[in-house]
Amino acid sequence: MKPFEYLEPTTVSEACALLKKGGGEARVFAGGALMTILMKEGLLEPKTLINIKRISGLKGIDFHPQEGLAIGALVTHHELETSGIVKEKLPILCAVEKDVANIRVRSMATVGGNLASGEPLTDLPQVFIALDARIKIASSSGERVMPLEDLYVDYYQTRLAGDEIVTQVIVPPVPERTGIEYIRFSSSSVVDKPCVGVATRISLGPQRLCQTVRIVLGCVGPTPLRAKKAEALVAGKPLDPKLAEEAGAVATGECSPVSDLRGSERYKRAVVGVLVRRALAQAYESASRS
Amino acid sequence: MKKSIHFRVNGIDTAIEVETHQMLLQVVRESLGLTGAKFACGIQVCGTCTLLLNGKPVSGCSVLAVDADGSDVLTVEGLAKDGQLHPLQEAFMEFGALQCGYCTPGFLLTAKALLDENPHPSEEEIRSYLAGNFCRCGCYQEIMRAIQKVAGR
Ligand SMILES: Cc1cc2nc3c(=O)[nH]c(=O)nc-3n(C[C@H](O)[C@H](O)[C@H](O)COP(=O)(O)OP(=O)(O)OC[C@H]3O[C@@H](n4cnc5c(N)ncnc54)[C@H](O)[C@@H]3O)c2cc1C
Ligand code: FES
Ligand code: FES
Repeated sequence: MKPFEYLEPTTVSEACALLKKGGGEARVFAGGALMTILMKEGLLEPKTLINIKRISGLKGIDFHPQEGLAIGALVTHHELETSGIVKEKLPILCAVEKDVANIRVRSMATVGGNLASGEPLTDLPQVFIALDARIKIASSSGERVMPLEDLYVDYYQTRLAGDEIVTQVIVPPVPERTGIEYIRFSSSSVVDKPCVGVATRISLGPQRLCQTVRIVLGCVGPTPLRAKKAEALVAGKPLDPKLAEEAGAVATGECSPVSDLRGSERYKRAVVGVLVRRALAQAYESASRS
Repeated sequence: MKKSIHFRVNGIDTAIEVETHQMLLQVVRESLGLTGAKFACGIQVCGTCTLLLNGKPVSGCSVLAVDADGSDVLTVEGLAKDGQLHPLQEAFMEFGALQCGYCTPGFLLTAKALLDENPHPSEEEIRSYLAGNFCRCGCYQEIMRAIQKVAGR
């Protein structure tokens, strides 16, 4: 690994100022799960590494009845997995975390890093997008909030500017009679990165009609992606097995998977169809029960 | 670039100068002479390099040594207390939960972290927590039994 200058700011504004000063040569370092691999392989050779882990303001999880759940960027996967407040308010997040990577990665790597990396083979972005999550972003000139869905541009590319840091993920309160489901399909071992991940959310209106529908596909394109045609097909209707099947078929045409060691393009499309069908049916059922 | 770090390794206050790009595994093995943790995949997949950082399992192969500044580090060498093996070590011997032993330090430390977090895990919980540790000699059944014994199951 190439040597670098190593800095440990203790406030967000200090970190943003250092990033700005470093120009394109300084990089944020959080859990390091992705960074250490890229740097060891020589794929990334930053002149300056800005370890943000000493910034206490980026830690912790809060819940406000109006705002929802606010998750600090430095919260680790394992902290999210075992958080009492998350288990109570949004248990789906704890369930999703159980299958992320392995315990060592979950102990070190962060939610902020997972979302900000733009890595294609991850689980959290599609789940948070299905929940209409927003991210708070700080820079040397101030703060902004963006729907997570808008963050992604391409493989490993996001809309974050060079001096910007994700500080928080905000998940708004979930409406009553909502079902949320995530199905992750792994084609080799359970601890491998996902081959396909599908998140669905259905919030019911009167007469058990699907009022709000989210179908978010992960790992089958350059960015996590909402299957908007499939969502539109389901919205305003009660869900039955035929409709779920149709939505699955529509979603297979909305993604753009590439063939790799986790499966061929055709195979991944077929998996998307099946997972969308199942995840919709399960979300609808749990929404109807609640 | 060099940096001085201070941390507790197996309960002993340790101050050492490291290169900022050195991995914790390398420092523990080569500078401190604690060679229990092993290098294998180098990409956080296999678990032979497991160390406990503030009680949580991490991959020594992929954690910067400077990132451990101010932390508590436990290696397999620190598991026995006052010449007395840890109950997990006793159980691994009793059930023959190893052949070549390359994976053993990682399994022991991961199992310790699990039991510290959850003293009586179910079989399912043990499997899930240890899913990221590989044993190429295939001693999984024996490892499972050894941990279950210590977990009182
Ligand atoms: C073996 C292995 C298996 C994995 N399996 C899975 C899996 O199954 N599911 C899954 O979802 N993920 C998986 N991951 C990804 C992992 O969960 C991490 O979340 C992810 O790699 C990055 O998190 P980090 O905190 O380590 O970030 P780092 O490696 O420190 O940083 C990653 C990138 O994000 C940037 N960054 C980090 N934090 C911020 C911030 N707050 N603001 C702005 N930019 C930031 C960095 O500059 C860098 O570009 C796996 C990783 C490994 C190594
Ligand atoms: S050598 Fe570190 S996980 Fe394999
Ligand atoms: S005992 Fe040989 S790898 Fe596990």
